[in-house]
Amino acid sequence: MTDMPKLSAIERTEQRSFLLLFLPALILVALIIFAPLGKLVVQSFQDEGAFSLVHYKRIVTERIYWSIFVDTLEVSLAVTALSALLGYPVAYAAARASRLWTGLILAMVMLPFWTSVLVRTYGWLVILQRRGIVNTTLMDLGIISKPLELSHNYTAVLIGMVHVMVPFIVFPLYAALSKIPPELAQAGNSLGGTRSYVFRRVILPLSAPGLLAGAVLVFVLSLGFYLTPELLGGGKTIMVSSLVERNIEQYSRFGAASSVALSLLVIVLAIFWVVDRVLPVEKIIGVK
Amino acid sequence: MKLFNKIALGTALSLAAPAMAQDVVNYATDGGTILDVKQEYLIGPAEEKLGVDVVVDAMTSRFAPFKAQVLSGKPTWNLIDFSAGYGIRSQNEDLLEKLDYSLIPNAAGVPDAYKDDYTVGSTAYATGLGYSTEAFPDNPPQTWADFWDVEAFPGRRAMRNGPRPALELALLADGVAPEDLYPLDVERAYDKMAEIKPHIDVWWSSGAETTQLLYDQEVDLMQIWDGRAKNAINEGAPAVFVWNNAIVEYAVFAIPKGSSHPEVTMKVINEMLNPEGQAKWASNYATGPLNTNFAEFMDPERLKELPSAPENLAIGIPLNNAWWASEAGEEAERRWLEFMQQ
Amino acid sequence: MKKLQNLPLYGVVFAILFFLVFPIIVVVIMSFSDSRFLTFPPKVFSLRWYESYFLDPAWMRATRNSFVLAILTTILVVPVGTAAAYGAHMCKMAIMRHMQLLLLSPVIVPVIIIAAGLYMVYAQVGLLATKLGLVLAFATMNLPYVFISVLAGLRSYDMAQEDVARSLGVSRLAAFMKVTLPQIRPSVMTGALFAFIGALDETVISIFIAGGENQTLPSRMFMSLNDEIDPTIASISTVLISVSFALVILMSLRSPKKANG
Repeated sequence: MTDMPKLSAIERTEQRSFLLLFLPALILVALIIFAPLGKLVVQSFQDEGAFSLVHYKRIVTERIYWSIFVDTLEVSLAVTALSALLGYPVAYAAARASRLWTGLILAMVMLPFWTSVLVRTYGWLVILQRRGIVNTTLMDLGIISKPLELSHNYTAVLIGMVHVMVPFIVFPLYAALSKIPPELAQAGNSLGGTRSYVFRRVILPLSAPGLLAGAVLVFVLSLGFYLTPELLGGGKTIMVSSLVERNIEQYSRFGAASSVALSLLVIVLAIFWVVDRVLPVEKIIGVK
Repeated sequence: MKLFNKIALGTALSLAAPAMAQDVVNYATDGGTILDVKQEYLIGPAEEKLGVDVVVDAMTSRFAPFKAQVLSGKPTWNLIDFSAGYGIRSQNEDLLEKLDYSLIPNAAGVPDAYKDDYTVGSTAYATGLGYSTEAFPDNPPQTWADFWDVEAFPGRRAMRNGPRPALELALLADGVAPEDLYPLDVERAYDKMAEIKPHIDVWWSSGAETTQLLYDQEVDLMQIWDGRAKNAINEGAPAVFVWNNAIVEYAVFAIPKGSSHPEVTMKVINEMLNPEGQAKWASNYATGPLNTNFAEFMDPERLKELPSAPENLAIGIPLNNAWWASEAGEEAERRWLEFMQQ
Repeated sequence: MKKLQNLPLYGVVFAILFFLVFPIIVVVIMSFSDSRFLTFPPKVFSLRWYESYFLDPAWMRATRNSFVLAILTTILVVPVGTAAAYGAHMCKMAIMRHMQLLLLSPVIVPVIIIAAGLYMVYAQVGLLATKLGLVLAFATMNLPYVFISVLAGLRSYDMAQEDVARSLGVSRLAAFMKVTLPQIRPSVMTGALFAFIGALDETVISIFIAGGENQTLPSRMFMSLNDEIDPTIASISTVLISVSFALVILMSLRSPKKANG
């Protein structure tokens, strides 16, 4: 994607007309993404109609805002690590399996992807609650005598969010892993490397871009996650998104909501900016 | 882009067109069983009698969209009901149309305490203590002090994720007499809340959750609304709702400022306050109609279980909406998030 | 020998796949329950929650709205996204990279932020709870998927074919429509499918900006869950899962080419 050193006049006009093809899409994005962001910027610097830094001051000085941001980062990090841990074996198996199995595995990964997050969350509630499927089964089997506390807490938030996020990490990983020729691993094995050695020295490095792409995507999506922590956390896990929602829905404090939302956006953009040094953003999202 | 815009717009308009001959009253309210019953005994008959089309928009958090609509100058909703606290707030912020009581003769049956120039009371509801009879077969918790007593009454607990009326409950638990509640001692209330906080397993945010929590026995004792508790009990949940020292709140009908044909909407309100319809509604759903004339049409046994029954109103504690709408009330409301995050 | 070594891996993979699919199986089974609340396993089976979905005018209105919006969204976003992808593929200028990044912003910016901002803007210009407002929002949210999908198709397509057509005097537009488009059709269809399902399932945006006569299915589901948790939502999502899967299978039958990545 570099500028051609010399373009003829005709080519240049043509190139410009290609840019024009972009225009409708850009207008949509400008209207639906950037106009609202602009509105948020304006509102975040306003208090009772006048310019004010009060909303940002609040984020910096009030401990609760600070700690909600830290909690959100922590939850997102945990979700990312768990999703990578669960997503890797699945992507690996899908990349190595026969065509039929690959199709089946990927279909099973897609299934939750296309089921409303809301409904899945309630599915988890039924599974995890005190008299839910997991507890009754374990108690019937005599493995536990008292129900485990799995729902309406941090554990439930992690389980619910990981369930949503795993597909996002499986697909880029699968794309990266399926490009590694199986002969490469075989060669490593035949040269006397143990399986774990070959995995660490060959497979993992070659799949690293896919892993990184998936992980960044999951991390960023987790930062803005809204429904699952609200419904499964028992009100105890407060994420930035809940803070935005509550400021709008319950208190009608649009300035406060705007400043919180924009602070989150700055964090997200910073992450992309840093990662972009190593791996172009287009790769993360799947354009390349 | 322009072309697509036009296509989208054109299609959108043609799709939105059918049956515009009738007056449409967009009504924002709570959904669920309460709405199903209301639809059958109040909304349906009102539509038939007045020849209007009442389109219900069921949603729990109505205040923010309502406010945004009014501020936009052209509200979609013609009729809204919400808790009386929002009623006061909306009046303070000038978001409501004034009611013309000559168009709402049925409002005469609503006690003066439950109506004003801009809002008229629809139903009363109570926040009380619900407990599982399986967890507490004998010597069950009876007061808010019992709810706070985690030694004598061990068990999983749930409260609403919000200060209203949790702070009232905390003060009652701390020994404040009902008549001395207001103005709330916010400091003392939050201290008492901090005591119980580690023992609350679920902070619920919607009524639907509470029914499920009680029904599944996910918790053993909880703060819950009477109608929600009744719902779970009717379906066979081993549970009891304690009326004693329940906090009584009420909801009001109101008309968003600037909405179209308010006189039609007022006629709809009048039909919604029809005492016979209200009685049928309350016979099929545990709610507390505020047109007190409904009582004549009620089975006395059934009446006893309703929040607007005279004896329940007597032992309940009315929530002071004016206090919550005051500066101190708003400050107490804001403090909640901080309390939850600690 | 090799098979045996892989056994633990496949065991783990099976367990993870079970984790992914289990809640959905639970939801589907609960949709056939006779209980008033969400209970598992159901004691008695019935179709009453399908009845309560299909016979309820409000649910049907929301369903119709969502399908109409999804169709309008697809009609709007597929040409827009395809044009952009074609432009991105052909244009060699350095500015292209920034343009692409702008186009991907609906994926980069957390959806709660977009929803909150849109809510405020729409409230001001009167687009709240309108079909136009919803279609524009859904189209933009799904634009990146169409763009990515079509771009991938163009990359694996040999542009020389279009050049041949053009050398025969056909205009670029005609060449694209007659030569290129039929060849990249599977990618365009995939993008359209993503946009359609995405618009059907757009929850957070819907919660903020849908309502009234233009209530969408996901936002009504959310509202209804606030009011009453009953198995209706389980039956609705069972229907939606079936629709999504039918569409996907239909698509894969039409394009036997192996979809990679």
